[in-house]
Amino acid sequence: MATLDGSSVKKLIVACDAGMGSSVMLASTLKKQLKGNDVIVEHSPVATIPQDADVVVTQASLADRARGVVPNVPVVPFNLFLGDPAVTRVVKAIQSGDSIEV
Amino acid sequence: MSAYTPPVTGTGGRARVQRAGAFLAGMVMPNLGAFIAFGLITALFIDTGWVNYATGHVVDGKPVDTLTWTTQIATVVGPLINILVPILIGYTGGKNVYETRGAVVGAVATIGVMLAPVALQLTPISLNGEETTAPASIAEIGPAILGAFVVGPLAAWLLKKWDSVIAGKIRGGFEMLVDNFSAGIIGGILAIFGIYVVGPLTYWLTQGIGWLVNELVKIHLLPVVSILVEPAKVLFLNNAINHGVFTPIGSEQAGQAGQSILFMIESNPGPGLGILTAMLLFGPRAVRPTVPAAMVVHFLGGIHEIYFPYVLMKPILVIAAIAGGATGVLWESIFGLGLRAPASPGSIIAWLFVSPPNEILLIVIGVILSAAVSAVVGFLLLGFGRREKEEGSASDLEAARAQSAANKAASKNQPTASA
Repeated sequence: MATLDGSSVKKLIVACDAGMGSSVMLASTLKKQLKGNDVIVEHSPVATIPQDADVVVTQASLADRARGVVPNVPVVPFNLFLGDPAVTRVVKAIQSGDSIEV
Repeated sequence: MSAYTPPVTGTGGRARVQRAGAFLAGMVMPNLGAFIAFGLITALFIDTGWVNYATGHVVDGKPVDTLTWTTQIATVVGPLINILVPILIGYTGGKNVYETRGAVVGAVATIGVMLAPVALQLTPISLNGEETTAPASIAEIGPAILGAFVVGPLAAWLLKKWDSVIAGKIRGGFEMLVDNFSAGIIGGILAIFGIYVVGPLTYWLTQGIGWLVNELVKIHLLPVVSILVEPAKVLFLNNAINHGVFTPIGSEQAGQAGQSILFMIESNPGPGLGILTAMLLFGPRAVRPTVPAAMVVHFLGGIHEIYFPYVLMKPILVIAAIAGGATGVLWESIFGLGLRAPASPGSIIAWLFVSPPNEILLIVIGVILSAAVSAVVGFLLLGFGRREKEEGSASDLEAARAQSAANKAASKNQPTASA
């Protein structure tokens, strides 16, 4: 369990296995949603998530590996690639600057 | 934090397999552009390709009076897949281990494994009873992708070790001399090691698997692999399987026969479409609205990952995926269908691009059949939505998620963290 302070998030990473397919898709969705916020949204293979990420969102099946790569970064697992509440929650926290438990 | 995000901890077996698969797929996937260039030029310009087909230069599947300019363009087909692709894969494998320095020694070492069949005059196993001969030159080799998987990262790893051992011990001004020669020597040694050791091993491994696949196709048993492939896919091992196994072996087959059924096994977008159809009609009500967009992304965009969570939510649906996948493979093996190049991403559009013109109708029917079978099996497994009504709607999604969280925690003997 970690606390994610929405206002301090400057770099959000969407990770998937290859960093070429599903993460690109979700990253482009989140980029649009977070347009007005000063947040960098990037996609990455789960094995090479950058250490300077503030928060990582990834499919639940890959969360294990994501945590192994960046042990000090909050990892938010989600199930569905489209419209998952866990992802929506992170987006809302960033937009409103609230803190959430992840 | 609730049922939406099940706690996933530790490094279970699945994570380990995923990581190993990602290592292989990580060498192939950055180079998919090269596969696609090969696939498009092949599909359009070879003697039985679209251009000759559309201009009446293919009769009964046989080339007649092939257009000269297509022959000229088609000269790049063999070198693209047989020479460029393995070198790129060895390069990328090296790069993933040790940046550009590793990439270069990886590429050098790969040349060795590629040329082992020429150097040692290895004769390929005949798949159709015709006599085969060992390649006389680099122009006749097949794509040594498995060999590149081995020596690319190995060469880079050795160079990395060497660099770390001598770090700080080199006299000032001699760094470049030592760096260049250590890379050159390690790359050269690995190239020789590739010719005599890794090359023959991976060559016979590729030949053996190719032979086995061919035998399975002949007796129509290849659909059995769907029993392994479909469940592994939904555990996010899709890239590992497709690009770690099917792409290398399929490329070898395509080099000989012009097409391979192996490119179709994992990338068939039919079963996923069937699963999503079942979910749309009879799945948990809370997730139904998300399905149409997922169908577009899956079937047209080719991102299969998008349907995996729906199967994980209703794991019984994996049976529908297997049934659909096996149907497709059976259909394809009965009619001897294949794709010219890997279809990646596994979109119907990518499939159409790399389908041989004379097979395209049967190939599309195969995709539709696999979608139909997995949809119908999915309907049955979901009880046509009957249970859905009994259990109520919105809570079902959360229940499914909580259940999967509990399963995961239980399988790892760890308490479910709650918040």
